Amino acid sequence: MIKVENLTKRYAGLTALNNVSFEVNRGEIVGFLGPNGAGKSTTMRILTGFIPASSGRAEVAGLDVFEDSLEVRRHIGYMAENNPLYVDMRVNEYLKFRAKLKGVPRADRKDRIQEVLQMCGLTDVRNRVIGHLSKGYRQRVGLADALLAEPDLLVLDEPTIGLDPVQIRQVRELIKDLGKRHTILLSSHILPEVEMTCNRVIIIHRGRILASDTPDNLMKTLHAGGLVNVEVRGPGSEVQAKLRAVEGVNSIAVKVGDDGYARVTVQPKAGADPREGIYKAVAGSGWTLRELSRTRTTLEDIFVQITRDEDEAEEERREQRRSLLR
Amino acid sequence: MRNVPALLRRELNACFASVLGYVVLMFFLLVMGVTFGVIVNFLNRGPTQLTAMKIMFSMFWLPSLVVVPMITMRLLAEEKRAGTLEMLMTAPVTDFEVVFAKWLGAVVLYTLMWALTMLYVLILRHFSGGTAALDLGPIATGYIGVLIIGQFLISIGVLASSMTKNQVAAALMSFALVFLVIIVLNWLGFLFQGGPLSKIIRSVSAFEHMDDFSRGILDLRPIVLYLSGTVWALFVATRVVGSRKWR
Repeated sequence: MIKVENLTKRYAGLTALNNVSFEVNRGEIVGFLGPNGAGKSTTMRILTGFIPASSGRAEVAGLDVFEDSLEVRRHIGYMAENNPLYVDMRVNEYLKFRAKLKGVPRADRKDRIQEVLQMCGLTDVRNRVIGHLSKGYRQRVGLADALLAEPDLLVLDEPTIGLDPVQIRQVRELIKDLGKRHTILLSSHILPEVEMTCNRVIIIHRGRILASDTPDNLMKTLHAGGLVNVEVRGPGSEVQAKLRAVEGVNSIAVKVGDDGYARVTVQPKAGADPREGIYKAVAGSGWTLRELSRTRTTLEDIFVQITRDEDEAEEERREQRRSLLR
Repeated sequence: MRNVPALLRRELNACFASVLGYVVLMFFLLVMGVTFGVIVNFLNRGPTQLTAMKIMFSMFWLPSLVVVPMITMRLLAEEKRAGTLEMLMTAPVTDFEVVFAKWLGAVVLYTLMWALTMLYVLILRHFSGGTAALDLGPIATGYIGVLIIGQFLISIGVLASSMTKNQVAAALMSFALVFLVIIVLNWLGFLFQGGPLSKIIRSVSAFEHMDDFSRGILDLRPIVLYLSGTVWALFVATRVVGSRKWR
């Protein structure tokens, strides 16, 4: 559905996108994840034909986004960052205007508007002025607009930004539901969001793609299993020595509480699961085991780790350049 | 140009949904009404060569200086500021369609305003007893002149509005340009009176053109001048809107 090859976008004195390549297949829900200013909106603006790339190619539905811009736009339902709308128009007035622009045939227009109003839960406010609606409703108007022409591809830039938790949940549900019929590319800097709604995550930082995989795989490969928490009733130093010797343990930290229990945080080696070994070691020493659990790594951890690694690498490169200049 | 009707409708709705449309209309009618009153009063003092509508048309610059910036400043500047331009340009619509519809919307509004002044013609007709003082020919060409010059000034306003996100800046810019085109050119005409330059300046002076139009002279040259000026201004405005693509 989307094919991006070596896409680069340079603004004066700033490279917003640096040689980015990725693909999105039909039927996928793909989340673009990155901090503010990572290049998410820039990529989306290029895909929707609002701005061109400096170099590289982007295709939507097999059409070049720059050469066949008008045709590409017919395939895309787009909700821009901050969801700009005509605040002086009424909801159904606005949707009617957009349906005309998007070439929804006159005969279908009314039904189609009814349909998206219902889908987005806007039927009750269809005669209200958009400027008087709450942020949550406005967001839904933006979504309804994106859906109007039944596009193959939905491009949603930060669809839940600025919403309250209830509204966020509603919009997420809606997106999940839409994913059954549309290909979706959405961006977010909120991690649980992409974790919950997307089949695939593309992590983008400083204009470059750092990772692209399913949320589960990302967690597996990047942070094998996370930390293991152990609580044992036993002497701190002995516990530490014993558990460090267990196979698959990388490092441990022990803290003895007032109740006589030692709280141990175990960092496993990559790909290893030392829980069984830990149980055997504890049981073999005759200590009481109160807890043995594994903290699930969240995308957030991965994200922070990846972007930190990247920042450190960048810093190193800069340092090298500086020393060369000296 | 398939999308122009939808875009035009949106423009006209926006105009009357906001208070600005009514304020501009009120301003225009106030200025024209007072002007009309003064003219009628002046003509009552004694016989003269001038007709009421001729003087009326010679005052075309007065509302233009304010009305044109007011109705054009919002057009593209506000879309840019609010970010709605992005929604517009990512729909299957060309840049020119958008610019053209905005210009057309303002021209329709401008025409509507001037159409209301036709009431004055009816008033004159009623109180003059339908005598020869009311020659409908020059009045018709006068209105054509007002429209031809007005649509050009509006295209300049659209151009000014395409260049900034700030409505006030757009208004001041188009005020300056309209001032240049109408007032400064006329003033230069006085300055170089009799010289070789005066002929050139007179041929592009809006006052001279309006004078001809309100006499009943329908000259093709100023019409071509203003229409090609409009084409140029709308073309440049389209390029400015599209400049996000190559800047």
